[in-house]
Amino acid sequence: MSLLRSKPAQEDAMPADSPSSHGQHFTNLSRYVRRALFPIITLGAVGVLWEVAVRVSGVAEYLVPTPSAVWSRLSGDLGYFLFHGLITLYESLGGFALGTLVAVIAAGVMAHSRLFERTVYPIALLIKVTPIVAIAPLFVIWFGFGSFPKMMIAALITFFPVMVNTFIGLRSVNPTTLDFFRLLDAGEAQVLIKLRVPGALPYVFAAFRIAVPLSVIGAVVGEWFTGDRGLGSVIIVAHHNIDMPTLFSAIAVLACIGLGLTGITALIEQRVLFWHDSQQSGPAL
Amino acid sequence: MIGVEGDLSANETVGLPHISIHGLTHEYGKGAPRVTALSDIDFDIHEGDFVSIIGPSGCGKTTLLRIVGGLLTPTHGAVRIDGASPDEARRQRLFGAVFQDAALLPWRTAAENVRLSIELNGDDRKGDVNDLLRTVGLDGFHDSYPYQLSGGMKQRVALARALATRPRILLMDEPFGSLDEITRTDMGYELLRIWESRPTTVLFVTHSIAEAVMLSDRVVVLSPRPGEIVDIINIELPRPRTQYVEESQEFGEYMVLVRGLLKGARHEPVAV
Repeated sequence: MSLLRSKPAQEDAMPADSPSSHGQHFTNLSRYVRRALFPIITLGAVGVLWEVAVRVSGVAEYLVPTPSAVWSRLSGDLGYFLFHGLITLYESLGGFALGTLVAVIAAGVMAHSRLFERTVYPIALLIKVTPIVAIAPLFVIWFGFGSFPKMMIAALITFFPVMVNTFIGLRSVNPTTLDFFRLLDAGEAQVLIKLRVPGALPYVFAAFRIAVPLSVIGAVVGEWFTGDRGLGSVIIVAHHNIDMPTLFSAIAVLACIGLGLTGITALIEQRVLFWHDSQQSGPAL
Repeated sequence: MIGVEGDLSANETVGLPHISIHGLTHEYGKGAPRVTALSDIDFDIHEGDFVSIIGPSGCGKTTLLRIVGGLLTPTHGAVRIDGASPDEARRQRLFGAVFQDAALLPWRTAAENVRLSIELNGDDRKGDVNDLLRTVGLDGFHDSYPYQLSGGMKQRVALARALATRPRILLMDEPFGSLDEITRTDMGYELLRIWESRPTTVLFVTHSIAEAVMLSDRVVVLSPRPGEIVDIINIELPRPRTQYVEESQEFGEYMVLVRGLLKGARHEPVAV
């Protein structure tokens, strides 16, 4: 059995009262286009208004740059932004992977042992309520320069939502299904692998939606404090130089990274959780 | 009875278990706010019998079923299955179960859900899955996921899943309770057809009088909480039970009798 499976398209096996999957691909695509269309038009209109307003009012570039100035900075030095963007992306994903790995292991042990739950959960909560910006300088001192301290910060910020949701997911089992497993004398390992883990996936993906953008925040915050590379350091340097076109370009690239990661997460979710109620009313992105 | 005889294997000649329930009382909660769910339940279920338990909501029907399956330890009394405890019977893998909630794994297809029983029993008989789905009338739906199936179809999958391990005892907890009347009646006939072709002891919890009379050899009538046995009615209607049986005068008389017992247990005047 594979959890990763595309929606089956089998008209002959479809009961009359179920929604037809005919032409699902096409409707999905056109739905995305239609969804993206209005925000893009709105964004474009705001850009034009912005451009006109700055030019007419004659506000200095070091306060508000024109979108065209930002665009020429960005497109004129694409390699530079791409390089730093990829570093931030690498740190975000690395931190996300690390945080998720530790969170899933902790959740698994917590779901298994009440003692561990009572011990670890309050500590995790303490880490969660402590502002990440306050911990970041500490990590930089401990772990030095390079990507590792940033990944650690991204991991720390990812950890809590993934751990809590995975834990709740592992515990949230349909009691009737559990009865069925027990009546058939299923072992703990079978209950875990065949029931709890797949049942926790919707909860895990709900956490990913929060944790993926958070990991980018973690990476950028980390970069603020070491200023060697990555978009966070680009922002700090541009800020010191009052270089608004560079600052705005870095922000735009970060927005694109956030959007891209969220989109990819939603696509993976759709593929993995095709069976879940949340997927029956269309894509969530 | 189409295509089901093939499912019978040679080892079906092994005797079916005899379930004896003795002095069963169950209380929920500890200390002061105790709720007595079942009180002094005593009856036997003979080999291969189809026994229904009927009673108002909250009378402990489900509790009784869970005790027989070894999912719950009673406060007093005991259940013996061929002399063994329910736990031992469970370890011998005697049970199959269908609940009101089909409780299918939503990430598995119909066939994969049926195969689940076989996987859990550590036994690999892949060939059976197709036969089972055909037996419950779901040919062609092997690869459908639960979200693509109607309520009745999900219950059919649950039934096939329960039959997959060739259980000696089938525990059914209002299996058709969430279905509409028409589907429910159809499922009843199908269950009888399957039961007649593969001998199994059935303990069937329901709150439908017609369903209990239609399906059972015996109907155990329980009173409201705490659930006590009001009476046990032997249903001496001919088998196979068909629509003609259901429309017969005796059928109606059994219905009136059971309804009267249920009403009497509520301490209200019996309207016949």
